[in-house]
Order: sequence, then structure tokens, then C-alpha cells
Amino acid sequence: MDDGSNMRKFTGASQYVLDEELAEIVNVSMALEMPLLLKGEPGTGKTQLAHAIAEALDMRLIVLNVKSSMKLVEALYQYDTLTRLNDSRFGDSSRDVSNIEEYIKMGKIGQSFVSDKRVVLLIDEIDKADTDFQDDMLDVLDQMEFDIIEIDKTIKAKNRPVIIITSNAKKDLSDPFLGRCNFHHIAFPDDDMMRKIIRVHFPDISKDLLDSTVRCFYRLREFRNIEKKPATRELINWVRALRSDPDFRVKDLIKGEVPYLGVLFKKSADYEAAQNGVGRFRV
Amino acid sequence: MVSAASGYECRCMFIDFFYTLKRVGVPVSPTSFLRLQKALSLGLINSLDDFYTAARSILVKSERYFDLYDQVFAHTFEGTELKEPDEFVLNDMARAMLDEWLRDPGGMAEALGRDKDELSKLSPEELLDYFLERLKEQTEQHHGGGKWIGTHGTSPVGHSGYHPGGMRVGGVSRNKSAVKVAMDRRYKDYSQEGPLTQAQIGEALKRLRNMIPVGPKDQINIDKTIYQTMKNAGEIEIVFDRSLRDRLKVILAIDNGGWSMDPYIEMVQILFNYARAQFKDLKTFFFHNTIYDYLWEDPRRIRKPFAVDDLVRLDPDTRFIIVGDASMAPYELMATDGSIHIEERSGKPSYQRLQFIADTFPYALWINPKMTQEWRYTHTINAIRDIFPMFELTLDGLEEAVTHMMRKH
Repeated sequence: MDDGSNMRKFTGASQYVLDEELAEIVNVSMALEMPLLLKGEPGTGKTQLAHAIAEALDMRLIVLNVKSSMKLVEALYQYDTLTRLNDSRFGDSSRDVSNIEEYIKMGKIGQSFVSDKRVVLLIDEIDKADTDFQDDMLDVLDQMEFDIIEIDKTIKAKNRPVIIITSNAKKDLSDPFLGRCNFHHIAFPDDDMMRKIIRVHFPDISKDLLDSTVRCFYRLREFRNIEKKPATRELINWVRALRSDPDFRVKDLIKGEVPYLGVLFKKSADYEAAQNGVGRFRV
Repeated sequence: MVSAASGYECRCMFIDFFYTLKRVGVPVSPTSFLRLQKALSLGLINSLDDFYTAARSILVKSERYFDLYDQVFAHTFEGTELKEPDEFVLNDMARAMLDEWLRDPGGMAEALGRDKDELSKLSPEELLDYFLERLKEQTEQHHGGGKWIGTHGTSPVGHSGYHPGGMRVGGVSRNKSAVKVAMDRRYKDYSQEGPLTQAQIGEALKRLRNMIPVGPKDQINIDKTIYQTMKNAGEIEIVFDRSLRDRLKVILAIDNGGWSMDPYIEMVQILFNYARAQFKDLKTFFFHNTIYDYLWEDPRRIRKPFAVDDLVRLDPDTRFIIVGDASMAPYELMATDGSIHIEERSGKPSYQRLQFIADTFPYALWINPKMTQEWRYTHTINAIRDIFPMFELTLDGLEEAVTHMMRKH
């Protein structure tokens, strides 16, 4: 269980329920200084893991949210030409216009390299970017350095950041990329795990409510024709909604009345389908 | 600590483990193996459980292979018998064939080229064995061929469904035997060469994004800014460019009705889901077999009809992509009352409707999950090819389709 008997470094954080396997993988990756690639359907806590590692190891977390049009250089550094132009025109800033270096701003990867302390670098949803981005990034992460062309300077990582990369598995990443990462696929949490997760978020939740909501949640996930199944995040919000409703009784749920379906199903077609389905079941 | 002798044994075991993984088809690289050695030497791995997790995360890079990994692991370290990977596949396939037989004995017997009554005498277990045997023959002798069914293209019409009084009688299309369908399903998960995978579609559809500058003017053009500033004798003038934005409009019309499309739905669904992520502006419609007066916005084709006549109001630059097997009874396409649905009787035959769409959208095309070599056996495919350029639903086909769509008209 998660009492952490044989974990060395990372043993979970206050808002994150960690399974032993994953802790092991995180620690191996950190020791081998390899990026850890996490795949899994939305809501399995891929992003949360990075937050949890940062919290547990007391490191700063730097998040690079990958966008589809992103170029790698944006993640490394930015040359602020406009400010320089402005300074050269008005000359009222404390910066030295002839020194380009003063106009270089570090991007997220750059920040993680120049930081004095070791940081956690989360590269979120890498699959959004095109293959070029991924391949270019490999070299940078492999060598732990990059060049700033404008000032002909190489930035080396002072401390190798702990790198967590997430992918929503929309498409496979390239082989060379995979070759340089450790890989883990986070399965959707099972019943027991989900109970633990809910308890972490609502320590004082009653057993009745916990049982019936979790059971109901898994039944709802099984509905057919649902495009976006509710995930952990939705369940937590739903429990929160149920708990804050003074009129809500656990009995209703057992009888088959499911309030706040909209918290669980965010697409109108899904919502309708769920509503139809709910009419036909009892928990 | 382990003694030297058992350490050596261990190492041999690991090497054996590595090669077994490779043999059953898990793509493992020597680099990753060395990395695993490094992890071992760092003292990170102290138990078999640790080894299981660490080795998996280091060696195996896709959850697709987790199951295989488990089997090899159990085989190497716990001595369980390792089944030949083919056996799994074949067993499942034979089972799928049995299911198919129970549903449609006639079609199955015909596909196998055996007498139905003869096969009926066998018990389900015997049948299963029989199917398994046939499948083994198949994998040994005709890898990738798939012609052993032997009745390829028996029907020039390409569809076994009847159409009496507007009702479709369920049945499997003859051009595509149940056996082949069963094999399709199995191979999809295992083979990298099979039909389109999500990754491949992504690659092909990516080419659809044509970047045209219609975004807001919020990109600073440094060169022009400096030039203008110089011209102004140093008074700064900032020049903005439009940022690039993906404005490609796409309409996807998917044939999701009828048995004949059944085996392809999943593949099409992947394509469709992927497309959704790729384009900002995407409409998806559904139809059954061919298009008459209406397209449908809901997959069940009940709630949200969209009149084909209204398509003229949409941007003619829209890429109109129809996905369907284009296989049906000829009169469904040609007759003035071809539609199954009674309310769709405007008197215009489907081929006129298709022609109308082709005229409205110069970038319209048809993507067919049937392979090119099957096309000429089906009359309606030929007829539709006269209206739309048609491409097969493979990576190559998609690439051609994309090239076609990006061409200037």
C-alpha cells in the first residue's frame, strides 16, 4: 500500500494518491536522470504527478504547456527586440542597449536550466506539438544545453531538472523520442484507488456517500455512446457539489436519482444520453 | 548482495529476458537494455517487484506491449509457459469466426467454400478446431494474401442486403467475408502494417492544415518595424503582421449505416476523432449508404437533419470529405425513390445529389475504406467515382487525397 516502506525519495504528496509502482518509476527515472513520459486517458492525474513531485521534494515546478503551433525556441528563450528598439530610441532604461544579453528572456526550458536549484520541469501534452518540436527538444534534453544564436552563447543546465512529460495518447510519439524517455502508462484508477483519492480530497466523507458515489460513478462511465467519459476531476467536483447541497440525501442516489449530472457530463449530447440512462438504473 | 555465481546467472537471465522480449515483438533497443543495467548497478532495484516495474518503464515504450511484457516476464522469471504469440491471435480469431457462424451460417459456409449442412454437423468445439486449422493454414501459406476465402468479388453488385419495401435485411456484404472481418479486427491491435493507425492518420491529416494569414494583426514584423523607424528618422513605428491561423473548413460526411460499413466504423471513427482535434472549424454529418435530401448531424440519423440544399450557404472553399464504401444496390443511387427513408422522396436520385455537392464544393472528395483493387467489382463505386475523386482509406490514399485538396482549382 502507500505507506512507502521501500521508497527512497518520492513518496507522495498531500493531494495526490500515489501507487507504489509509479513511485518506483519516478525514483528510477530521477536516478537515471531520464525524462519520464506519462501516458493515460485524461483525468488519470498525469499533470498532478508533477505537482506532487515538486511538492514532495520541495522543488520549484516549471510548467511548459505545449501548444500545437509552438516552436522549440519559444520554450528555450526569447529575444525581446521591441524593448531593445524602444530603449535605443529613448535611452531612459537602466539596461545597456549594446548588450543584447539583457534582452534575452528565458523560456520555460531555459528557466529550468538556469535555476540555481534543481527544479521539476513539466512538459505538458507534448503530443500537441508536431514531430519536429519533439525531435528538436530531444537534443536539448539529451545534451542539457542549448545555444542562444543572437549572443552566441551556450546555456548549460546548472542542475539537471526532473523532467516529466505527459501525452494524451492522441498519437504515438516518434521512436527516437521514446528511446530517450522512461515510459509509464497510468491506467484509469480502479474502485479502491478511487476511494483513496476521494478520501484524500474529502477526509471527512461518510462511508455511505463514498460508496454510493464511487459505485454510481463507475456505472455512469459504462454508459454507451458517451463521447467524453467523466474522469477523476469530474468525480471530485461532483462529490463536492453533492456535499454542498443541503437537500441531497445518499438515499436518493441509491434510489437512482442522480443530481448534478452536468458536473459529470460536459457535452450536451453526453448529458442527454446520461440522463436517459440514469432513468433506468438503481445503484 | 548476490554472490558472483548467482550474479552471473542473473545477468544471463536478463539477457535471455531481453531477447525473449525482442522475439515476441516488443520493440526493445540495446540502449535501453544498457540503461536497465545502469539502474541495476546503481542499486535502485532490490527485488523482483522493483525489477518488474523499472524494467518495464525503461524497456517498454507503449502500453500496447504491456501485456506481452507481462507474459514474457512471467515466463522468464516464474517459469510459466510462453505461448506463441500467434496462438493467442488465432484462438481469438477462431472464436470470432464461430460467433460469425452462429449469426450467419450460410454466409460463413459460403465464405469457407464448404457446404453449410456439412459444417452444421460439427459441434461448436469441433467447429472451433476446424476454424483454427484453416487459420493456421492461412498464416503459413498466404501471409498477407487473404485470398484463400476464394470467393472474392462473387457479387458484381457488392452488397448482399435486400431492399424490399424500404426495409434492409441484415446480412454481411459478400465482397467482404466474415472471416476477413474477423481477421481485420484481430490484426488491428497487433500488426503495425494493418489498416491505418491513429498515428498515421495524424501524419496524413496534418498536411491538411494550410496556414493562411487571416488572424488578428498581432505579430510584430521586426524588419519592417526597423525599416519604418529608420524612415521616420528614429521615431519608432511598429509594424504588425497578421498572425497565422488555421482557417481550413472541413466537412466530414460519414456513412455509418448498414452492415457493409460495420467493419470500418472504428477506423473511420479514429479518422474522425483525429480530424476534430486538427481543425477549428469542422462539421460532421452522417448518412446511410448514400446521400439523398438530408445529411444528419447526429450519428443515429434521427434528430438533427441538415438539408442538402442548405449546403450552398456554406463556404464553397470547405473541404467536403465523404467517407463511405460506396457499395449499394445500383438503384439506391440511380432511382428517383432510392432512399430507404420515406420522407426523403423529393424525386431527385442520389447521384444528382452527389453531383450537386461536387458542384458546390470544388474541394469535395470521397474516401473509401475498401481497397482500390476491389473497386472495379462494384458498380456503384464506379458510378460515384465519376462524380468525386476517390481515394482509399490508407496512408497512401489519404496522402493523395490531401494533395488533391491542397491543389488550387
